[in-house]
Amino acid sequence: MNLGDVLADVRRGMIPASVYSDPELFELEKRRVFGRAWVHLAHESEIPEPGDYVVRRIVDDSFIVSRDEDGQVRVLLNMCLHRGMQVCRSEIGNASHFRCPYHAWTYKNSGELVGVPFHKDAYGGEDGLRRKGVTLMPAPRVDTYAGLIFASLDEHAQDLADYLGGFRFYLDFYLGQSADGAEVHGPQRFRVKANWKIGAENFAGDTYHTPHTHASVVDIDLFSAPKAAKRKEGALYFAGAGGGTTYKLPTQDFRENLRFIGYPDEMIDVMGSTWDAQHRAMVGDAGFMPSAATALPNLSFVHNWPVVDREGLVVPFISIRQWQPVSATETEVLSWFAVDKNAPQWYKDASYKAYLMCFGSSGMFEQDDVENWTSITQMARGQMAERLNLHSRMGLTRDGEPVTPEIDWPAPGRAYTGFSEHNQRSLLGLWCDLLDDAPDAQVDPAETPAARIATLH
Amino acid sequence: MSVPTTARRIRYGSATYDLVVEFLYTEAELLDERRHEEWLALLTGDVRYVMPVRVTTAHTLEGSTLPSMAHFDEDRYSLEKRVARFATEHAWAEDPPSRTRRYVTNVRCYEGPGDDELTVKSNLLLFRSRGDLYEHDLLSAVRTDLLRRDGDELRLARRDILIDESVLRTQNLAVFL
Repeated sequence: MNLGDVLADVRRGMIPASVYSDPELFELEKRRVFGRAWVHLAHESEIPEPGDYVVRRIVDDSFIVSRDEDGQVRVLLNMCLHRGMQVCRSEIGNASHFRCPYHAWTYKNSGELVGVPFHKDAYGGEDGLRRKGVTLMPAPRVDTYAGLIFASLDEHAQDLADYLGGFRFYLDFYLGQSADGAEVHGPQRFRVKANWKIGAENFAGDTYHTPHTHASVVDIDLFSAPKAAKRKEGALYFAGAGGGTTYKLPTQDFRENLRFIGYPDEMIDVMGSTWDAQHRAMVGDAGFMPSAATALPNLSFVHNWPVVDREGLVVPFISIRQWQPVSATETEVLSWFAVDKNAPQWYKDASYKAYLMCFGSSGMFEQDDVENWTSITQMARGQMAERLNLHSRMGLTRDGEPVTPEIDWPAPGRAYTGFSEHNQRSLLGLWCDLLDDAPDAQVDPAETPAARIATLH
Repeated sequence: MSVPTTARRIRYGSATYDLVVEFLYTEAELLDERRHEEWLALLTGDVRYVMPVRVTTAHTLEGSTLPSMAHFDEDRYSLEKRVARFATEHAWAEDPPSRTRRYVTNVRCYEGPGDDELTVKSNLLLFRSRGDLYEHDLLSAVRTDLLRRDGDELRLARRDILIDESVLRTQNLAVFL
């Protein structure tokens, strides 16, 4: 593999098929994409109380995401400083301390090392092994937006707000429907034999697949909107770290449009007073509602509104999903259900039902997506695939002009209507920038947590 | 749903036990043969079909399911939609269909909770093979069923599926357990 050639091809929208299967490229992605980007780990509502924790990974690194006794969120490498054993081997729970099963070194849920058996006899006390100020290795950078907890392995990563940029605006539609934000439930976890990028690209902008891949859910009257004519009226926006798809709503009225997709008036009232004028204009005057979206590298969202009962009740649902790479050809999907904390209980129940029918491990949309993604990944392993550049130039003429011009867009970023792959190219463009021939994640040897911990001897 | 602590066990070899086993075998056969409409006919109108998400927890298996998230949490409406989807020409996840075989064992049968009801636990091993590229998937679970008498027949009123994996190694649940 010649990385420069691969990136040049990807940037012009002719994607070497092997980017979906090449183990050598995957090793680079680990260091340069997942080693540099801000990667989502959990939502704050998963760990509401002091001591609550979940265990999540960034590729091969396992982190304890805990809320310490002071209520602060900590992201701690799940690896004992002594022999490297995992100090926490359950994936969810509440604990004041984590004790390593091997030699019983013990850490508070803030990461602080507080227990070393026979500290005086074996190490000569603090003189031989400092405990004071020593912690499990924290993730180099941790920050949150809209309750989403992100970490970066790169000490010198730009701030999360700058990294997300204009994409933050769109997160508010999913996770900021009231001032208290969302609660998330899950995740369902399942493994698919597909490269992680395929799902990320799909959610970023692929409205073109909906009419055919998801024809079955239209056939059974679960969902009416994915009809081809309907989908191409939606705008595709890209801003900052990501982009997404929208549906065109039937009116220019904020309330009527939200009613149309099933939001009850009491939620619409709260959205109307929580969102700013720009959000309201996008849903109202412009009449666009976000559906699927992806933020670099592997965090996606979906918002849809199926029919949830025999009486024809339409209720929206929101899902957060993460494409957690296992290898070049395998991905663990983490799929959460999200709903506004202040939504009425009947709505939460109906929205949960809507989610389960559509997305996640048993979702009737998701099942058919994964069928495509596993097949692409398998084909990409072949020798012939090494000679094939996949055509990802939809929306561009041969000389690189947009087939339809950018639209006037009332929100951050740029947007087009009609079918195109502008978003997928933009997302992979950012991926190229991370992979590009630059040094690996900037680590100043004097400043790393590892160096600080090294003072323990 | 759990077995009522005071429930009387129905002995192996009794007529009722035989009826229950026959029901479970018939149901497995209908699913293996993708006779989903006939399978639906075995379910009550108020059926609930639940498969919680299993998680790895410390010390004990108690509470090793997420309280507010499931893989399936279905009623008759959503099960009918799933079945109707298989009958369309666009259900790619099961077209070509998986070859499945359900192994139903360790059947434990109890009276109640209602007069006309039985609580039945059974172990399930579901073998699933698709295409020709990959090894098969295996899904292992224990099911706790609420069966209701309907004349001489039994109907499934509730099924709780306790799956033995925290991360499913099958790419979707386009199959019933």
